[in-house]
Amino acid sequence: MQAIISHYNYWIYILLMMIGLYAMLAKNNLIKKVIGMSIFQTAIIVFYVSISAKEHASIPIIAHGHGHGAVEAAIDVAHYANPLPHVLMLTAIVVSVGTLGVALAICLGIYRRYNSLEEDEIQEQLQ
Amino acid sequence: MIWQLDLSVLTLIVICAFATIMVKDLLSAAIIFGAYSFLMCLLWTEMGAVDVAFTEASVGAGVSTVLFIAAVYQTSRTVKPRKSGRGLAKIFALLATLLTGLVLLIAEADFPGFADLSSPASLHVSPYYITQTLHDTNVPNMVTSVLADYRGYDTMLETVVIFTAGLAVIAILRRYKKDQPFTPPEPYILSKGYPDTIIRFVARQLVPFIQLFALYVVAHGHHSPGGGFQGGVILGASFILLAISYDFKTVLGIMNEKWNVLLGNLGVLIYAGIGFLCLGLGANFLDYSILSKVLPATDRVMARSHGMLGIEIGVAIAVMAIVISIYLNVVSRGKYDKGL
Repeated sequence: MQAIISHYNYWIYILLMMIGLYAMLAKNNLIKKVIGMSIFQTAIIVFYVSISAKEHASIPIIAHGHGHGAVEAAIDVAHYANPLPHVLMLTAIVVSVGTLGVALAICLGIYRRYNSLEEDEIQEQLQ
Repeated sequence: MIWQLDLSVLTLIVICAFATIMVKDLLSAAIIFGAYSFLMCLLWTEMGAVDVAFTEASVGAGVSTVLFIAAVYQTSRTVKPRKSGRGLAKIFALLATLLTGLVLLIAEADFPGFADLSSPASLHVSPYYITQTLHDTNVPNMVTSVLADYRGYDTMLETVVIFTAGLAVIAILRRYKKDQPFTPPEPYILSKGYPDTIIRFVARQLVPFIQLFALYVVAHGHHSPGGGFQGGVILGASFILLAISYDFKTVLGIMNEKWNVLLGNLGVLIYAGIGFLCLGLGANFLDYSILSKVLPATDRVMARSHGMLGIEIGVAIAVMAIVISIYLNVVSRGKYDKGL
């Protein structure tokens, strides 16, 4: 039971990754493929964020008063979630909106040229 | 960590992911994907990653959804049924997916348990960040101090990546010629083109408060969740709200294309400029503590805090400009004539 509780998270992330990957591979519509890519990205991000979690830990902001050096108490490492994966994933999310913009721009470019977003119709016109 | 809550949110997330892949209407898919992102935020808040959740709420659930809707508006709304004879490809895709999942599951068995205190990721550099951030930089929000100070190189190049993405969208989509007039795509459903007084009034009243909140998020990122990325996206979203509720030309009058690219440049320049300023003053690139020489009445610790604020402002300007630019290009298919 303990093993399941401490690992079921990862199984669900893997399931999300599989959903995203399947959409990228099998879907015919290009927008659907882009949505699949976004799901894949969030699955990886949630995986990273889950690494940072600690049992009974607080958010990574030190409780403080105002002014310089307001906190002098010793800081317990186990009391705060690991901030490093948060930083990496925060920037990854913002970059993901950039990549999403580029992906949608390419989709619109394809639509302008082939008047379709369906993979098989584009294939037919290419041949 | 309450595992029951965790499990129920995760179940809803998986349902949303399935639904957004299966549904035939692309507009519905975009909206369900927005719901998926909000559930993700909930999950991350529950894991204690408030900064990440904040970013996802503004980026994933806000801007991404708008971009999807803009793209659907410019193309077709429904997914056409696939022509026959492609069943084999689907089976192969399913096989590849299952194989990947199986490999990942096998690899996962060696992972440390969820929320394990002695997981390797929490042992190497992260204790230093947690214990020393207040002493080194006087910034209580560790995520901000790691983002802008300890790992400043990372963040600078991420900003460059976003700027490059904005340029790429312009390069792919922008058309300067006035070719054929805009013909609405076939299922023309999203906007009838007449002004809606209530929506316009509410949006106009909201925009200044949204922008004020965005400035607060940028300035207060040292002490609470937030920072340059979130604040920049919220600023950009306020302009997008204006573009949707009024019309395209209104926003273009405030933020035209030239300004967008210039501001994107300026943001990256502020970031790199502070880095070079540190270099010029005789310290390492992005070592803000040396800025105490030029900033009045600051010691080396506060100088790091102020240096972070400077680069957060740069990031906010760049992200704002690029988000607006991507939206304007996608929604008008690069012609800058008419939007949602």
